[in-house]
Amino acid sequence: MAYTLPFPALWTAVLLPILVGIAAWLSKPSTRSAVDGFAALSGVVLAYPAALLAALYARGLLASGTLDPLYASYRGLGTIALAIDGLSGPVVLGVSIVTAAVALYSVKYMTVRIEEMLEEGEKAPGMGTYFLLYNMFAAAMLGLAMATNLVEFYIFLELTLIPSFLLIAYWGYGDRKRISLLYFVWTHIGAALLLVGILYYGIRLGSFDYLTVPALKPVGSVESILGAAAKTVALLMIAGLFVKMAVFGVHMWLPYAHAEAPTPISALLSPNLIGLAGYAYARFVIPSFPGILGDWRNYLVALGLTTIIYGGLVALTQRDFKRFLAYSSVSQMGYMLLGLATLTYIGVAGAIFHYLVHAIGKAILFMTAGIFITQLHGLRDIQSMGGLARRYPLTAALALYGFMHLVGMPPTTGLWSEWMIIVGAYKVYSASQLSLAALAAALLVALVVSGAYSFITMRRIFYGQPRSERAREASEDRDVLVWSTLALLVVGFVLFLASAPLINSLLRVSQAVVPWG
Amino acid sequence: MMVEPVYATLVWAVPYLGAGLMALLYLAGVRREAAYTLTSAASLLLAALLATIVGYDVLSSGRPVLHEFTWIDGLGVKVSTYVDGLSAVMIMLVSWLSFLIGVYSIGYMKGDWGLPRYFFFFTFFVGSMLLVVSADNLLLLFIGWEGTGLASYALIGHWYTDEEEYWVGVPGRKALGVPMYFEPSHSGLRAILFTRVGDIGMLIGMAAMYLLTGSLSIHQIAAEAPVWMATLAKYHLLQLVLLLFTMGALAKSAQFPFHEWLVTAMTGPTPVSALIHAATMVKAGIYLVLRFAPIFYYGAINAPGPLHDIVVHDTYQYFTIVAGLGAITAFMMATMAIVSNEFKLILAFSTASQIGYMFLAAGAAGMLVEEANTLAFSAGVLSGLSHLMSHAVFKAALFLISGWAIHVVHSRFIDKMGDFAKYMKVTAIAMWLAGLSLMGIPPLSGFFSKELTLKAAEEAHLEWGFLLGAVTALLTALYTSRLIVRVFHMPPYEKPHHEPHEAPPIMLVPYTIMALTALALGLYWPGVASFLAKAGELTAAGSLTLRVEPAELEVHLTGTVAAILVGAIAMIALVWLLYKWINVNFRALLAQHASLKALHDFLFDRWYINAIIYIVIVYGFAGIAMFLAGVDFGIDWFYHTALIAVFGAFSYATRALHRGRPEYIVSLYLYLAGLAMLLAYLLWR
Repeated sequence: MAYTLPFPALWTAVLLPILVGIAAWLSKPSTRSAVDGFAALSGVVLAYPAALLAALYARGLLASGTLDPLYASYRGLGTIALAIDGLSGPVVLGVSIVTAAVALYSVKYMTVRIEEMLEEGEKAPGMGTYFLLYNMFAAAMLGLAMATNLVEFYIFLELTLIPSFLLIAYWGYGDRKRISLLYFVWTHIGAALLLVGILYYGIRLGSFDYLTVPALKPVGSVESILGAAAKTVALLMIAGLFVKMAVFGVHMWLPYAHAEAPTPISALLSPNLIGLAGYAYARFVIPSFPGILGDWRNYLVALGLTTIIYGGLVALTQRDFKRFLAYSSVSQMGYMLLGLATLTYIGVAGAIFHYLVHAIGKAILFMTAGIFITQLHGLRDIQSMGGLARRYPLTAALALYGFMHLVGMPPTTGLWSEWMIIVGAYKVYSASQLSLAALAAALLVALVVSGAYSFITMRRIFYGQPRSERAREASEDRDVLVWSTLALLVVGFVLFLASAPLINSLLRVSQAVVPWG
Repeated sequence: MMVEPVYATLVWAVPYLGAGLMALLYLAGVRREAAYTLTSAASLLLAALLATIVGYDVLSSGRPVLHEFTWIDGLGVKVSTYVDGLSAVMIMLVSWLSFLIGVYSIGYMKGDWGLPRYFFFFTFFVGSMLLVVSADNLLLLFIGWEGTGLASYALIGHWYTDEEEYWVGVPGRKALGVPMYFEPSHSGLRAILFTRVGDIGMLIGMAAMYLLTGSLSIHQIAAEAPVWMATLAKYHLLQLVLLLFTMGALAKSAQFPFHEWLVTAMTGPTPVSALIHAATMVKAGIYLVLRFAPIFYYGAINAPGPLHDIVVHDTYQYFTIVAGLGAITAFMMATMAIVSNEFKLILAFSTASQIGYMFLAAGAAGMLVEEANTLAFSAGVLSGLSHLMSHAVFKAALFLISGWAIHVVHSRFIDKMGDFAKYMKVTAIAMWLAGLSLMGIPPLSGFFSKELTLKAAEEAHLEWGFLLGAVTALLTALYTSRLIVRVFHMPPYEKPHHEPHEAPPIMLVPYTIMALTALALGLYWPGVASFLAKAGELTAAGSLTLRVEPAELEVHLTGTVAAILVGAIAMIALVWLLYKWINVNFRALLAQHASLKALHDFLFDRWYINAIIYIVIVYGFAGIAMFLAGVDFGIDWFYHTALIAVFGAFSYATRALHRGRPEYIVSLYLYLAGLAMLLAYLLWR
C-alpha cells in the first residue's frame, strides 16, 4: 500500500521551479547578483526532490511508493496524480541532481554565450527568459517521472519539448533555426506516434491510468482487452518512445540537437530527456504488453545491442566533442533498451538504474565540453585538442570519471547497472551453448566498444601534445563551471557507495513490473 | 593473539582512505611533495602492519578471519573480507612489497610534475589489490579488480605528454606495417582495453554463478559448486562459463592471447612496473585462478549422480586449456626476451613467462580431477602459490634495479648500459641474486618454486606442458644471464652520456632487501614449505582443504631436476663464453645471415602477434566504424535531404498557404493527418 504524503510535496516539486522561472522572467535580472540569485534559487528548488527522496528513504517509504495527496479522477480520463516509487526513484533523482547542478553551471556559461552572441551581432533573450524555459523544462521532466496517467504523461512530455525547442532556437549553435525545427519535428513525430497509441489505449479502456491510485500498482496487461489491435498499439507506443530514445534507425535527429544546443541544455537533453522514454517503456509499455514484448524479445535485444555498437563506433569517427557525446548517448540508450528488452526484473532494474548512471556521467561530460567552449573560445574540435590534461588537470579527472560511468567501472554507479543488465541478459540467453556464446560475443563487442570510444577519446583530448595553438596556451580557470561539475562528481561517488536504498526498492518494484522474470 | 575482525577490512580500506585523503589535499590546493609521499607511505605501512597482524593471527590460530556487513542486499553485495590461508599469504606479500616499492618511489619520483597523481593512484592500486585478494564477495572482488585496472591505466600512462624518452619499443620500427613503438598514453589505453575484454567474460561467468546459487559469496559458490556445475554441464555450458570467467584472469595476468598489453606497460615509471609485475595487477589474475581452481575441482569430484562423469570431463578439459595457455605463454614470452634490447622489456617478457608457469601449475593440478587425486592437486595449487611468492620478491628487485639502471644512463636500451659492476657493487650483487633466482639456480627461491610447478605438470601427465616448461627454464637462464652480462660485465655498445654510479640508499635498500629475501627464502625453503602447507591447510573450498605434507613442497634432486639445472648452468656458461671470452659480434652476424635476421625479427616483433591483433581487430573495427559513419551519413541524407526535398516539392504548390519553413511544416501536417486517419481506422474497426 502506498503512503500518502501529508502535504502536496510532489506537486510543489513540479510547480516551485516554474514559479521561480516566472519570477526570473518577470524581473528580467540584469545585475550579476540577481542572476546568481535566481541560479541559486533554481538550484535549490531543483535539488528539493533529491532531498525528498532521501527523507522518504529515511522513513522507509521508497519501495512501497509515495503518493501526493492532491489527485483527482475524471470519468473517461482516469486519475491525475503524482507519485514516486522504486522505479521512478532513480529517475527523479537523476533529473533532480543534474538539473540542480546544471542550474549553477548555467549562470557563467549562458552569460558568456549571450555576450558572445551580442558580439556576433545577434540579439538573444536574456537570463530571465533562460531561467523560465530552463526551469519549465526541468519541472516537466520531474512531472514525467512522477506521473501516473497517460494523458498527464503526454502533457508533461509536450511541456518538455516546447521549452527545450525554444532553448535550442534562442541560444543554440550553428544553424540553430533549422536544427531546432528539426528537433521539434522529430520529437513530435515520436510524440504523435505515442499519442495515437495512448488515445486508443485510453478510449478502449475507459481510463488512461497506468498506475492505480492510491495503491500504485501497475494496471497490468491490456492485451486481451485490446485484442487484435494490441500489437498495433504496442508498436505505436514503442515506435514513439524509440524515436525519443534515439534508437538505431531513428536516431538521426539527436546528433544535431544535442551537439548544437547550448551546452547546459545538452547536459539535460542527452542523458535526462531521452532516457525518460526508456523509463516510460518500463513504466507502462512492459506491464501493458508483456506477451507481445515476449514474442519480440529477440528482435528488441538485437536492436539494443545494435544501437550500442553502432552508436559507439560512429562516435569514434566524430571530430566534434559534443557530437561525439551525442553519439555516445545513442549508444548508451542501447544499454537501457537491452536491459528492458530482456524482460527480466533484474534487467529492467538495471536499465532504469542506468538512467541515473548515464544522467550523471553524461552530464559531467557535457559540462566538461562546456568548460572548454567557454574558457577556450569555442574549442570543440577534438582534432585541435590534445595534451589538455596538463593544462586542465581537474577537468581531465572529471572527464575520466564521467567516462567511467559510460564504461561501467567502479567507483561509479555504472558498475551496478552494467552488472544488472548483464545478469538479466544471461538469464534469458543461457539455455544453450549457442545462445550463450552468441550473447557473450555480442556483449564483448558492445562493452569493449564502449570502453574503446571512451578511453580513446580521453587520449585524443587530454593526452599527448596539444595539436593547436589554442590548446597549447590553455590554462584551467577554476570557476563555477568546474566546481558545479565537481559537485556532480561528488554526488556520483556518494551514490556509488550509497545506492543500496535505490537499488533495493528498484528491484522490488521491477519485480512487480515483470513478475514472471 | 586476538585480532578484531575489522582489522581484516582495514587492510584494504586504509590505502583507499589514504588515496581519498590525497584527493582532498589536492583539491585543497596542497602541492608540497611531502604531503603525498608521507600520506602514501604511512597508509601503505599501516596496511602492511595490519596485514601482518591479521595474517599472523590466521596462520597461528588456524582460524580464518571474516568481517562483513551488508552493502546492497537486493543484489547480494556485501562488504565481506575473508582472510584464510591463501589470502593471508597474499595480503602480507602484497602489502610489504608495495610498501618497499612505495619507499623506493619517493626517491625515484622526486621532483616529478605529476607526483600527487602518481601517489594517489599508487596507493589506490595497492588498496585495490589488497581488496582483490581478501574479498569474499565476487562483486566486491570485482571492484578491486577494476580498481587495479584503472590504477594501472593511470600509472602506465603517467607521463601522458608522450615525449619520446618515455616510449617503449624502437621508434620508427614497424612489423607488417604496424608501428611497434608505443607512447605512454597509448600503452595505458592498451592496458585498460585488453584487460577489459577479459573482464567482460568474467562478468558473464559471475552472472552464471550468481544466478545458479543466488549468492555472490565465494564461500557459498564453493559450497554449492557440485550443484551449479552439474546444472551448467547439463546444458553443455560448463566449459564455456568457466572459460569466460577465467578470461578475466588470463587478461589480467597477461597470458596468451592477452599478453600484449603487459609488454608495452613499460612506459610507466619503473616502480609502477615493479608494482604491476610483482605485487599487483598480474598477480590478481593468478590469484583468482588459485582461488577458484579448488572450487572447480571440489565441484567436479563431488558432482552428483549421473552428471558426475560429464562434469569431471568438462572440468578436466577446462583445466587442460588453462595449463596449455600457461605453458604456451611461458615458452613464447621467453623466446621474445632473448632478443630484446630494452632492460625493462626483457623483464616484462619474463613476467608473463613466469606467470605462465603458475598457470601451468594450477591448470595441471586441476587436471588431476580425473584421478580425484586431491593430495597431488593441493600440492600443485600450492606450488603455483609458491612460485607466485618467490617471483614477486625477485621480480620486484629486478625491476627496481632496472629503474636505477635506466635512471642512471638516461636510456631504456641496454646498448647504452655496460660495466655496471665496476660502478655499483651492491647493485650488482643484488642483480645476480635476483637474476639467479629467476634462472632457477639453487639455493635461490626461484629454483624450488619453479621445479614445483614443473612437478605439477609431470604429475598431471601433461608431457608437452612439462617439456615447454623445461625448455623455458633453459631460455630463462639464457636471456637473464645475457642481460646481466651485458649490463654489468661488458662495456656498453654505445657510450652513455652519463657515467653510472651507485644508487642512493632510499632506492638501494629496498631492492637489496628484496634480493636478500629471495636468497633467504631459498636457504630456508623447508620453512617456506611448511609455511605454505600451513596456508594450504587453512584454504578451503566446500569441504575440501588444500592439505599437504610440507615434504611434498620440497624439491629433491631427481634426474630431471638435475638435467634442467645442468642445462640452465650450461646456458649461463654459454652466454659468458659467447659474450665475454669470444665476444661474438651479433650485429654483424645478423647482417650477414638473412635467416638469422628473419628469426631475430620474428622474435623481436613478438611473433607478429601484436601486428596481427592490430590489423585484424583494431584496424578492422576502425574500418567498420568508418563504414558505419558512411551509413549514418546515408541515413542523415535520407531523412534530412531526400525526404525533405520530396515534401518541399509538394509544398511548393501550396506555398501561398504557409509562411516560415513550409517544407518542415507541411511534412508535419501530412504526417499528423496520416496518424489521425490511422487512429480513426483503429477506433472505427
